Amino acid sequence: MRFFRVKKLFKAMAVGVCGILAAGIIAGCGSDSSSEGVNNGVLKVGVTNFADTLEPTQNFFGWVVMRYGLGECLTKFDAKMNIQPWLAESWSISDDHLTWTFKIREGVKFSNGNPLTAEGVKASIERAFAKNNRAATFFEYESITAEGQNLIIRTKKPLPNMPGYLADPLFIIVDTKAEAEGRDFSKEGPICTGPYMVKSFVKEKSVMERNPNYWDGEVPFETVEIPSIDDPNTRAMSLQSGEVDVAVNIAAGDIDLFKNNDRFDLDEISSLRVVVARINQKGLLGDAKVRAAFIQGCDRETYNNVLLKGTFLPGSAPIPPSLDYGFDQLKDPNSYNPDNAKKLLDEAGWKDTDGDGIRDKDGRPLRVEFIVYNGRAELPLYAEAVQADMKKIGIDVVIKNVDYNLLDQIGIKGEYDLLISNITTANTGDPEIFLNWYWRTNVNGDNPQNGSGYSNPELDAVFARLATEFDKEQRRQLIIQAQQIIMNDGAALFLGYPVTNIISSKALKGVHMFPSDYYWITHEIAPAK
Amino acid sequence: MKEFVANHKLFSLYTMFVLSVIFVALAAPWLAPMDPYAGDMRNVFLPPSSEHWLGTDKLGRDMFSRLIYGTSTSLFMTICLVFLTAGLGAAVGIASGYFGGRVEMVLMRFADMMLSFPGVVLAIAIAGIMGGSIINTILALVAVSWAKYARLVRSLVIKLRSNDFIVAARVNGTKTFTILWRHIMPNVLPMVVITGAMDIGTMMMEIAGLSFLGFGAQPPTPEWGLMLNEGRQYIQTAPLMMVYPGVAIFIVVSIFNLWGDALRDVLDPRQT
Repeated sequence: MRFFRVKKLFKAMAVGVCGILAAGIIAGCGSDSSSEGVNNGVLKVGVTNFADTLEPTQNFFGWVVMRYGLGECLTKFDAKMNIQPWLAESWSISDDHLTWTFKIREGVKFSNGNPLTAEGVKASIERAFAKNNRAATFFEYESITAEGQNLIIRTKKPLPNMPGYLADPLFIIVDTKAEAEGRDFSKEGPICTGPYMVKSFVKEKSVMERNPNYWDGEVPFETVEIPSIDDPNTRAMSLQSGEVDVAVNIAAGDIDLFKNNDRFDLDEISSLRVVVARINQKGLLGDAKVRAAFIQGCDRETYNNVLLKGTFLPGSAPIPPSLDYGFDQLKDPNSYNPDNAKKLLDEAGWKDTDGDGIRDKDGRPLRVEFIVYNGRAELPLYAEAVQADMKKIGIDVVIKNVDYNLLDQIGIKGEYDLLISNITTANTGDPEIFLNWYWRTNVNGDNPQNGSGYSNPELDAVFARLATEFDKEQRRQLIIQAQQIIMNDGAALFLGYPVTNIISSKALKGVHMFPSDYYWITHEIAPAK
Repeated sequence: MKEFVANHKLFSLYTMFVLSVIFVALAAPWLAPMDPYAGDMRNVFLPPSSEHWLGTDKLGRDMFSRLIYGTSTSLFMTICLVFLTAGLGAAVGIASGYFGGRVEMVLMRFADMMLSFPGVVLAIAIAGIMGGSIINTILALVAVSWAKYARLVRSLVIKLRSNDFIVAARVNGTKTFTILWRHIMPNVLPMVVITGAMDIGTMMMEIAGLSFLGFGAQPPTPEWGLMLNEGRQYIQTAPLMMVYPGVAIFIVVSIFNLWGDALRDVLDPRQT
């Protein structure tokens, strides 16, 4: 009997040893790379995909349509966020600043062979307006007309940034004729002008094939397979094992594996994004002193440089330093200063009377709820770091994990104390909309994204001037002014600015990350040999 | 005592192990060299050193202290879970076994329903709906595991209830509650205790599993499943972050499993 038990112990140990061996084998898999696929006309790209369909007007799904090399717009942004011609060759504006004329490129065909005409572009833009009310938050038009290859847009108000608006993936040019003939874009994918077209699409994996009618040179790959690998570690491992040739957004924990590596190229660029925690002013953080203390207690230098290993830049202003909107001249009144934060909390009447390490007032603990989602690896880390720092100054931060799909509604309804998001600040090349959305006074839901209750008439006045200002330098000054007001009010906690990356096998060339984050798969990605 | 130890050497050894785990859990505040929540964010992923015995984690917190505190979190959760599950299961089992008829019908069909689901999947669903927290995890796991105990106890009680001593008690006019408490309960207890003891390891794994998936303990709680998940993001650059909590789970679960086995051998009347 006793003998039997000893045997059992051995059995348990054997199982343990087997487990360790298995782990070793799995870890060892990441050593052989294959560039065979690349040279046989197949490109494999590991991405994160949030789109349920490829209908460009649904939600933000247009982003995916553009990233996958399917859709193109009239204009695009270059690596410095300057607006460049794309499907439009050139454009001009009338003297009264109300009429824009876009010259549509000659000789462009949709992937089904239909030619691209100004008439078709008009129908496509009108379709975007009809299907998604986000379109109207960019601009409102009085009329769109087509004259030959010219597209003429008349607006009610002068809109300085029209070419930038039309670069947004919402305005991807689709062939409305194909839709009229019965193609269901949301099921079969849209007909666009990009280098690749849809072969099959499910959320987990898309397959694209060469567009035989592409207008801008040769398309290097017969097939592009795009698996969605949501977990950043798995993405890194797929890249190491050669399962994919390109992967986007490798997380801080793995980035060192690909730096100075003879098998991979790393292209990183400071993005237009900001990781921001919106602060609700209807709760405990409505008190300006508590808010200031909260922000001053967060050691953002350390979060970004140490915890995230420099894959993020430390935050302070709404707009990242990659855009020229006065990042260096802005003064952050709430830079890291935990001692002052404690003083501010004392002044605001929050003291730890019961000795549990958390400050309280009138029997109520200083406890705030921080809403986070896990879709991006850095967000929970930021939240936990903030939580740890807040504990040092006596604020109890409760982290609540929610599903990404709930985030938008939580923001609109204002059901949070802090709400983290990773937002692009200038998806039209200009940060006006971003600032407007989150911080302009929300009167009876006319600015739904500002669910925080924040309101400052001074800032609203700046926004009003910005809306009609055409002069580039004046706009810049106004945007700097707006940022300074937001920072002075402690309206939000700006945690950091991501440096986005795309990593590719050395068997490829032409893989680039753009600050706008719209262009992943392009016709420039080709085998290196 | 001495004789007992001599007769049950392995059981005594495992009991020693179990007691030392319990000791570590209870004495965590004194054993842990540092605060498991406070970290120096400038010193993350430090290798093991004399100051930080197992190095530091992603927020610069002392890994060793977190592991020690993790013992008490895990053990506390598991013990709560085992007691609640066994208690609820035994109560339902005794009721349905003793009263029979409609009570039994309803309770046992309900138990069948719970048993027909894959347990952990259902627990994930329940914990997911209620939102992740330690208490919700325990409730979710209780909800899926009580049925096993109910069945076991019911079959024991059915066998017991026609025994002469029960009939005698009933004839004497003893109150039903007293019969259940004085006569039935002591007879089913050993079986419940053995099953419970053997389940501790499994339950601990299930709790760690739910925490790993994000449904159990929430950051910054030092809990092994959660720590395992935190380490996962650094599996290639700092693999020790996953190894430590993994080894801790492995050791403690093994100890409880071996102890449960040995306890059965000691208590089970058939083997003496």
